[in-house]
Amino acid sequence: MAIGNRQLAMSKGLNRFAILVACATFFLIIAGALVTSNDAGLATPDWPLSNGQFFPKMVGNLFWEHGHRMVATTVGMLTIVLTIFILVKEKRQWVRRLGIFALLAVIAQGLLGGLTVKLMLPLAVSTAHATLAQLFFCTTVSLAVFTSRSWIEAWPLPEEKEGFPLRYLCAAALVTIFLQLIIGATLRHSATWDKPLPVELVLTHIGGAFAVTLALGGAAISVLRRHKNEAFLTRPAMLALMLLVVQLFLGLAAYLTRQASPHDPQPLNPMIGITVAHVACGALVFATTIVLTLRIFKVSQPVLQDYRIRQDLHVNPENPVIL
Amino acid sequence: MIFVLLCGHLICVTFRVRVASVLQLTRKYLSLEDLIMNKQTKVWLVLSIALSLLALGSACGGAKAPDTNTPTSETAAAAPYSGPTGTITGVISYNGTPPAPKKIDTTADPVCGQKNPNLSTDDTIVKDGKLANVFVYVKEGSVEGGKKVGDYTWATPTSEVQLDQNGCHYAPHVLGLMVNQKLRVTNSDQTQHNIHPTPKLNQEWNQTQSAGAPPIEKAFARPEVLIPVKCNQHPWMKAYIGVMKTPFFSVSGGDGAFEIKGVPAGTYTVVAWREGGAPEKTMQVTVPANGSAKADFAFGEGATSSVKPSLQMMPAIEFPMLGKH
Repeated sequence: MAIGNRQLAMSKGLNRFAILVACATFFLIIAGALVTSNDAGLATPDWPLSNGQFFPKMVGNLFWEHGHRMVATTVGMLTIVLTIFILVKEKRQWVRRLGIFALLAVIAQGLLGGLTVKLMLPLAVSTAHATLAQLFFCTTVSLAVFTSRSWIEAWPLPEEKEGFPLRYLCAAALVTIFLQLIIGATLRHSATWDKPLPVELVLTHIGGAFAVTLALGGAAISVLRRHKNEAFLTRPAMLALMLLVVQLFLGLAAYLTRQASPHDPQPLNPMIGITVAHVACGALVFATTIVLTLRIFKVSQPVLQDYRIRQDLHVNPENPVIL
Repeated sequence: MIFVLLCGHLICVTFRVRVASVLQLTRKYLSLEDLIMNKQTKVWLVLSIALSLLALGSACGGAKAPDTNTPTSETAAAAPYSGPTGTITGVISYNGTPPAPKKIDTTADPVCGQKNPNLSTDDTIVKDGKLANVFVYVKEGSVEGGKKVGDYTWATPTSEVQLDQNGCHYAPHVLGLMVNQKLRVTNSDQTQHNIHPTPKLNQEWNQTQSAGAPPIEKAFARPEVLIPVKCNQHPWMKAYIGVMKTPFFSVSGGDGAFEIKGVPAGTYTVVAWREGGAPEKTMQVTVPANGSAKADFAFGEGATSSVKPSLQMMPAIEFPMLGKH
């Protein structure tokens, strides 16, 4: 029991820090989206310094580009601390590995960011940078979930007897959203604000929006119907649905403002605000679906497997109340 | 070009040979396990894949389109033109009501607002129905005697073409220079700029220029009409550079007028280009020896994209416009 209590106390600190890193990563995604919408990616031609300085005068678009670099540096530092924190405190081997993966991902992301500046924003590298950002965000959100009390305390639910397994529904929704994020990133980096958007990509992205609506809508509604008394599952499902609706409206608004932007003398605030909000909300939809999917996998897994995880934690598997 | 073709041919031949080898090996080693385990097979397989990828890459790249702008050896050997010349003059009109200039928000950099508080867009500057900043150039044509204008060599001027950043605004907005002619970029502002031409045929570059920094000198190696230039610090700043193989180009002034001097007597296609994606206008012009040909263009509402056929021509006499816009 004493071991269990100490384990819980240590996990709480780690969990809070993991949530902090996930929130910082979300803020970093917004900062990155601001760079793209303001067309500030090449405000300084050098990297990692900005115009040869560690802290240049933040005027014009350099504010967005250098600001993004500063936020990224902060997230990088936080990830290093998080990884150390995990390696010191965490007993579960797979969580430790995920912590190391997060560190490697943030390093790779930094290098990709540098590469995209040095190569003057080639579409492939810029899109890879935006995609890896979402993958890294997925990792930090997952770490926050895995170290949470609700995850450790969750107990397998009775096996589903009817309908398509929720695990597969949620996983399909997650994959669809991720693919849609890649298409969205490609679309955003295909043309600067003063050029028209490529029609093929716009249509693909609209098609992706339908696919996400079907996949996520189906998964979330199934969760709400089958587990209506499980707040552990209904909360992320409900949130995902609400965010999806907001995201669809933001997508429409982003399209309209972006279509108008080539006629503007510069990137204007309505276009910047809405396109950035669309990116941010997309990341939130992704994060919520990650939480939902992970939780579904957690409560749907066989009891024996759950025991094995508990044994990893050096906790008595006979007592389901301790953790 | 021949070298590229030869290389491509060799790669293709090699590729076919290697494919045959792989097929032969596959037949020889019937089981996949043998294919993987055999060392010799591995070497062949790796070589085949590498060559296949190389050939595929070459094929995907496609045969490079002939660059009509790059001087051929024949052209390079050609002598400079020394025959009679004339002038092409004209006026660029704008039909209808031009779009009103839009005010630019310079709050992102207070220096810009202080120096140029009324900064506005300059993509359509119209005065008394005449349009400025239109790039007019001789696209192609034949000199009297039948030789193409591109078959002669045209000396690159030693003088530099200036592009200044003043009040967070590029001046001039549209400019032309010849291949390898020096472009001198200066910064007259007390803030830093970021000069970033985005060519399709030339080398792209992006360079910061701080307040008081020495001028940046660059040149473009290939003809290109036109290269957009932007400032990544101040996204409203735009300029366009026309890089030409011949010196026969001009930019319309505030009164819409332009003049192209020293054009060899002959018949040419003259093109007028303006920013904003409007279709360029073309016109057949015959330039008389020691005379002048007139080429007026019109943009805006109801303006057609080309004017044909050739204008009547008389030395030193203005030509009546066909298809008046």
